[in-house]
Amino acid sequence: MTLDRRDFVLNLLGLGAATATGAVGVGLFNQPAHAHAPIRPPGALPESDFLSTCIRCQRCADACPNHCIKATPESEGPVRAGTPFIQPREQACMLCSRVETEHLRCTEACPSGALQLVAKTLIDIQQKAQMGKAKVDLNLCYSYNDFTCGTCLKACPVGALRTGMWARPIVDMDACVGCGLCERVCIRYPHAIRVEAGERK
Amino acid sequence: MTNDGMTNDEFPKTLPKVRPSTFVIRHSSFLVSIARRSIQLLSVGVLVLLPIMALYTHFKEAHAIHDLGENNWRNVAVRGVERFVNKDAGRQQLVQRTQGTIWSARLFGVSLSDPLAGAEAIISSRSFYKPMLWSLLIPVAVTVLFGRVFCGWICPMNTLLEVVDKCRRLLRIAEIRERDVKFSLKNKYFVLAVTLGLVGVTSVPFVALFYPPAVMSREVHLFVFGSTVGIGAYVLLAIGAIELFVSKRWWCRYICPGGALYSLLGRFRVVRVERDENKCVHCGECVRVCQFDLRPMLVQITGMECTNCGSCVRACDDDALRFRWMLPVIGMTNDGMTNDGMTNDECQTKNASSKSTLVIRASSFLLASSFVIGHSSFAQAHHILGLPHYSYKENYPQAPTLEYPATTGPYDVLMTSFPGHPVPGERTTIAFYIKDRNTGLPYELPVSMRALKTATFGANTVIMEPLIHEPTTNQHKYFVTFPDDGEYIVELTMDVEGKPEVIPFLMIAGAPTATKSVVIAIGAGLGSFLLVVRAVKLKRDRRRRLENVE
Repeated sequence: MTLDRRDFVLNLLGLGAATATGAVGVGLFNQPAHAHAPIRPPGALPESDFLSTCIRCQRCADACPNHCIKATPESEGPVRAGTPFIQPREQACMLCSRVETEHLRCTEACPSGALQLVAKTLIDIQQKAQMGKAKVDLNLCYSYNDFTCGTCLKACPVGALRTGMWARPIVDMDACVGCGLCERVCIRYPHAIRVEAGERK
Repeated sequence: MTNDGMTNDEFPKTLPKVRPSTFVIRHSSFLVSIARRSIQLLSVGVLVLLPIMALYTHFKEAHAIHDLGENNWRNVAVRGVERFVNKDAGRQQLVQRTQGTIWSARLFGVSLSDPLAGAEAIISSRSFYKPMLWSLLIPVAVTVLFGRVFCGWICPMNTLLEVVDKCRRLLRIAEIRERDVKFSLKNKYFVLAVTLGLVGVTSVPFVALFYPPAVMSREVHLFVFGSTVGIGAYVLLAIGAIELFVSKRWWCRYICPGGALYSLLGRFRVVRVERDENKCVHCGECVRVCQFDLRPMLVQITGMECTNCGSCVRACDDDALRFRWMLPVIGMTNDGMTNDGMTNDECQTKNASSKSTLVIRASSFLLASSFVIGHSSFAQAHHILGLPHYSYKENYPQAPTLEYPATTGPYDVLMTSFPGHPVPGERTTIAFYIKDRNTGLPYELPVSMRALKTATFGANTVIMEPLIHEPTTNQHKYFVTFPDDGEYIVELTMDVEGKPEVIPFLMIAGAPTATKSVVIAIGAGLGSFLLVVRAVKLKRDRRRRLENVE
């Protein structure tokens, strides 16, 4: 492969031009995280780091014993396509509570470090597995609207839901890890308690 | 006269094709081709087994293996894995540690990643992560020792394209001219550089979106888990179609960034194909069979682009080509593509390519980037079709629901349907929850709703006249019965700051036939029908001509 200087310079220019055009093209779709940011599996890096580190291999989705991690479909745009997310209403993260494992299985499976290792202990999970925070919609929650329900209180695995008067759920924002089990069991349609993806540190 | 299907104009047809009079199996090359086919089959098997084993683990951990249900292929496969595991804890560990796609996988506990995935992850995240480096160890070592063997021996896309090669026979029967448009083999290095440059500039690792083996593996996953395929399947189809009608192995030869990286990594390989000049009669057979457009006939040893697939060794009638172990060659090697030892046709190709280098490179880049951009479209409303909680039983007593969010003025509207996917004749509860985004208070005015059945041609028919409702427990609730299979529109009319606002929501009842798939089926059917008609006509004409001669 012998190149003369003219060829070399032309190639270099072409390379630069193509990269710049492509960067603009991809950049157009690289929108900032909006209000409906997807809920990522436990141990995920902050959203922008997560998007640049995740190689879209779907090992976490396969490793999840509860089948709750799904791959983002291609219709969501090239930036997010193939990244893992959790839709708690469909299937929530059970923090590997019913399987034998040292670390949460998805964090163990991740080859690229987009999901950092989280040991299966309450302390480690509450420190590192920040998927989001549960939020109660007072207009919808039965317990806040003349019926006593309390289903979500029994579902919480980390003790983040405190009971108010007449089984009204109150979320302890420090303890909640955003696993979504409360959302999963909520008997109201549309569900009154939802997990919203928060800032991850 | 048959010409073996190769209308490769570059090859001097004056040289006679030498064939031994007796059929001789050259053992070593025969064994190599058997081994290659086995490994190709094995890798396709792994491609399918990865999601099946993951599915098995899901069922196992949900204690639902015994609730699998009817004997469809998926359940049969999962039961097969169960039989293999046979309650053996060690085997179960192995299966449980199998996951991922060909892009990056864990096979029975051994972590493996595509070197391109590794390069992409390092460039995009600007950091080194130890597990990633470990998973790169085996693939990189194999490539450094044996060269670009991934392409020829493992890549499922190449295996698929080899099947497409067989389909070329169909073209020959229909007497459609086979085309093999050629570009510069160096294009792919350009694509690799642009791709990695883009990954670095944008910090978005998007290669897996269009890299065929990764796409294929992902689609197989989708199919095993959800019985559907995504847009990626169309990308693969397009690659196959262009392969069949325009240019042979165009993706692998001229575009594939993975192939480029493998070539670079395998530059100092220790296994190469060597040509014995004393035995070679320059018949050109090796060049004709080479899938990657290399010229073993013109070089002493094959260069970095060779996949060591052994086709040329097997095709050589004179025992002139064979595999050889050798020390890494430090100097320049080539695959018969540079100035030394170039044929006249070669020179022409080279000249033609240098004239339009920029055009070709720009177009190949546009092609690669169009796959990325073509994948994007606006985010759609979320379809939540829930699986039963902690259970894989189909008749678990919790019906799936459907949710569509929408916004209008200061209000967030949430449409919920129960059941989410109604069967015709079933009473469906459709509820609207409308909330003021700023105050958090529910919408307390009455709203009206009507339901329409969509028509592919002509006007939609109204199946439910507008009905006005006051909210109950902060919701507006309606009951609709959809008469038959099809797509429906549920229209909500509400008052937003004094003006009436109409919001349509899509509902699907039963199993409607999608217009798109009907059109595709008719088109494909018509195409193959015309092909067969043409082939039959040609055959008949030829027979008639022969009869006339007699």
